[in-house]
Amino acid sequence: MASPSLDVLLKGNSSRNVRGLLRIIILCTIAAAAVSSRLFSVIRFESIIHEFDPWFNFRATKYLVQHGFYKFWDWFDDRTWHPLGRVTGGTLYPGLMVTSGVIYHVLRFLTIPVDIRNICVLLAPGFSGLTALAMYLLTNEMSSSPSAGLLAAVFMGITPGYISRSVAGSYDNEAIAIFLLVFTFYLWIKAVKNGSIMWGTLAALFYGYMVSAWGGYVFITNLIPLHVFVLLCMGRYTSRVYISYTTWYALGTLASMQIPFVGFLPIRNSDHMSALGVFGLLQLVAFADFVRGFVPGKQFQKLLTAMILIVFGFALLGLVLLTVSGVIAPWSGRFYSLWDTGYAKVHIPIIASVSEHQPTAWPAFFFDLNFLIWLFPAGVYLCFRQLKDEHVFVVIYAVLSSYFAGVMVRLMLTLTPVVCVAAALAVSHILDTYLVASKPSEASETKPTADNNQSGLRSTRNPVVGVYSYLSKFFISAMMIVYLLLFVSHCTWVTSNAYSSPSVVLASRMPDGSQHIIDDYREAYYWLRQNTPANAKIMSWWDYGYQIGGMADRPTLVDNNTWNNTHIATVGKAMSSREEVSYPILRQHDVDYVLVVFGGLLGYSGDDINKFLWMVRIAEGIWPDEVKERDYFTARGEYRVDDEATPTMRNSLMYKMSYYNFNSLFGGGQAVDRVRGARLPAEGPQLTTVEEAFTSENWIIRIYKVKDLDNFGRDHSSAVAFDKGHKKKRATKKKGPRVLRTE
Amino acid sequence: MRILQFFLALACFFSAAFSTNPPTDKFEKYQLLSHSTSVKLDDSSYEDLVSKPRDYYSAIILTATEARYGCVICREFQSEWEIISKSWNEGSKPDDIRLLFGSLDFSMGKNTFQKLMLQTAPVVLVFPPTNGPHAKIDSAPLRFDFTGPVSAEQLYTWITRHLPAGPKPPLVRPTNYMRIVSAVTLAMGFITLVTVLSPYILPVIRNRNLWAALSLIAILLFTSGHMFNHIRKVPYVAGDGKGGISYFAGGFSNQFGMETQIIASIYGVLSFATIALAMKVPRIADKRTQQLVIIIWGTVMLGMYSFLLSVFKTKNGGYPFFLPPF
Repeated sequence: MASPSLDVLLKGNSSRNVRGLLRIIILCTIAAAAVSSRLFSVIRFESIIHEFDPWFNFRATKYLVQHGFYKFWDWFDDRTWHPLGRVTGGTLYPGLMVTSGVIYHVLRFLTIPVDIRNICVLLAPGFSGLTALAMYLLTNEMSSSPSAGLLAAVFMGITPGYISRSVAGSYDNEAIAIFLLVFTFYLWIKAVKNGSIMWGTLAALFYGYMVSAWGGYVFITNLIPLHVFVLLCMGRYTSRVYISYTTWYALGTLASMQIPFVGFLPIRNSDHMSALGVFGLLQLVAFADFVRGFVPGKQFQKLLTAMILIVFGFALLGLVLLTVSGVIAPWSGRFYSLWDTGYAKVHIPIIASVSEHQPTAWPAFFFDLNFLIWLFPAGVYLCFRQLKDEHVFVVIYAVLSSYFAGVMVRLMLTLTPVVCVAAALAVSHILDTYLVASKPSEASETKPTADNNQSGLRSTRNPVVGVYSYLSKFFISAMMIVYLLLFVSHCTWVTSNAYSSPSVVLASRMPDGSQHIIDDYREAYYWLRQNTPANAKIMSWWDYGYQIGGMADRPTLVDNNTWNNTHIATVGKAMSSREEVSYPILRQHDVDYVLVVFGGLLGYSGDDINKFLWMVRIAEGIWPDEVKERDYFTARGEYRVDDEATPTMRNSLMYKMSYYNFNSLFGGGQAVDRVRGARLPAEGPQLTTVEEAFTSENWIIRIYKVKDLDNFGRDHSSAVAFDKGHKKKRATKKKGPRVLRTE
Repeated sequence: MRILQFFLALACFFSAAFSTNPPTDKFEKYQLLSHSTSVKLDDSSYEDLVSKPRDYYSAIILTATEARYGCVICREFQSEWEIISKSWNEGSKPDDIRLLFGSLDFSMGKNTFQKLMLQTAPVVLVFPPTNGPHAKIDSAPLRFDFTGPVSAEQLYTWITRHLPAGPKPPLVRPTNYMRIVSAVTLAMGFITLVTVLSPYILPVIRNRNLWAALSLIAILLFTSGHMFNHIRKVPYVAGDGKGGISYFAGGFSNQFGMETQIIASIYGVLSFATIALAMKVPRIADKRTQQLVIIIWGTVMLGMYSFLLSVFKTKNGGYPFFLPPF
């Protein structure tokens, strides 16, 4: 097959250039595939920001672009957390907004007029292309095989585990954070391998960028020290490790302290103490190593080792004492709940209530990673073959992140990169073995190999021979190719079916198969924008705070930032109490409108009645005497909304607002809640302190206006009773028999 | 201690006898009986304690600690109750809040249990005073029901919440010196053992195969959803309603304990097949053996993967992909 003209291309100096060019083309194609597979939602729906948190990021970015960087840094937002407000500039990770702001200004400078919204929508896909590139670089450091890096880049580009957080429109911190994570790891590996200050500095810079972008930077802060610690335990101390770690730690810590939200946390919080401890340990080890060169005595060396251990022990003790005495803050709740898995449920119900903080069942792993999940252990095993410093890193990363991903669905994101590296190592090893056309000669059996030593793995004792028959080569390669094709179709299917819904706009199928768009959210938010005064306060459960702020541009009481548990509990109490109790709360917080999400008509399960128990629980955490979770369950412990619902449930504001007037929709028949499959009581709830203002097309969003105080000073229930024409019951009606007054 | 109590009792008796107060100050009588923990009550003393008028709070646990009643929570909570009452009685408390702790066991107070119509134990009742500065109009006791294991802290915050505002003694758990000493001894012993045995242990610790095996097992456990089982406490297997066993739970975010073990072993076999094909097979010198091994491992891999896909299909109904055998 190889014609002479091809030989020229494939051999010698020119072949290097050809291969390099091919590599570049392949990488560009991978980046293009990564970007384009994330565009389903833009093509199907429109260029729109998704979900909840992205709406806040979008709003902040708009603020940054309009008012400039310094105003953004000092931004105090009085339109959220009414009446408290939020020091937004000091309580967010600004990396994402600044990145898109910079892109916006660069494009403007190049006289390309692009709307800031489009930049925000397309930022995540764009960065996923860069992630694939970073993945290629990282994997190339792990393996000498030319195909490993490319395979890893492909895997990273299209694996659903990463796509889930980076489709177009999902404008969230993770969009750029994963690129920064992978690239920081690449720079770190490079630094350890070369022992160069330059690579260490670069790693520190990108670490600083990562800190500015995502709270998950703590993962890097702990993983790199752990890597160094394990290397020290393995007796692999070298000046390379010393140089790279000290450079990274000193500069990286300084860089991270520039972010207002992080501030002095790196020296005052337990999450960061492992980095500091390893930094100290490394100094001790370096000192011992230095002294050892001059004093060869064996006894003395033992003494030195003991000294180091003792000093380290005392330092550890001091750290524990400082933590106990409160100088160093203990582990932050979110991070601590990863280790003590029951902690969040008892102490921080807000964290436990978020669906992405739930543990991961096995189908989710397979769904997000497909066949990579079983190649992953094989790849980790391959790392043990050479076990250089960088392979140690992969092994630690693999074990730790698979634990984290098991505890929290959301941390699947940090697992994905290492799965891609390991799986690419395994696949490239197989392809390199079975795609070689030439047969091994029979004489090669006696060839001695270098890695035939005792410390190696059991499976690498014998020398490598190669594969003889074409049949087996064909069989295995064909099998792998089928698996790879299956992987690609799996990824496309998952992306298009599960991860491309904006959740602001819902899609459903009509009986004839055509698509029907349910656009209740935007309809309701637009109604608020058009029909309410600009500073009308909207109360809703915290999930919708960012969306109301972003789409309706109205002040909210609580939002997804969840920094003030008491304020959220106040809203929870207002929602879960009787009207007479709720009304004063609403008045005290200047609430003008109350917004509830109701899925009973359409069968939309993510509605407020399903989230209601969390409102009750969070409120109970603050007012245990007034709100009790037990009261919302029937005597048999069921959570019901129908005839058998408890009186507390039926009188709660949330229940009333959800089902108000719902009966009228069913004519004379009995109303049916499609989410909970329950038949509702024949008589619907009556509202006295709020009145219905707006209900969206499919009843998903219902907005109620809070009534003003009654003009005649009556309470609302008697005012409503009067309007309906019920005669007021006089307290003096029941009189005893008339008695003659004698004075 | 005993003598001191005796003198105290004597002193109290005299002070009660010679003071102008009536000698029947119930609070001090029971305070004396309590031996710095809670008072053991029976039917009559219970009636006496809670009878009106009373100018003190009393917190009484109605419990059944004897083994024949089989109340596990009662027995577990007994020590916690002692901690609460001890912390209160020995702590520095405001003078005007008078609180008595009592415990009434079922064997001593069947009548009381019947009168209160109690079906379950333990139950904690807090009786507010009927006269005095903190008197409540509603003299009915507040009731704390146990829905599961409750720690002393939880109950203590509940009790103090219903007391008048003011500083309360903190809950003090007694330091377990025995445990500290035994922990230190164990640690020292462990260090000694490691030092002595280091020539034998070091080769094991430095064995690369061991570490490889450990990390692979950890990864397989975690990626097959073990942490989900641990956190959600899922059942190991469940019946399918027809007398058989259903190994796989229905639904995408649902699983059984055994299911995860099956999945972990599938992953294990697949990874091992990959390792064998990538590392072992090219090292087989004999031609025929190699061919055979490749065919076997390749088939095993195909079969397992196909089985895995079919299992996944049962979990996720709309999944369109499959591989031939299953």
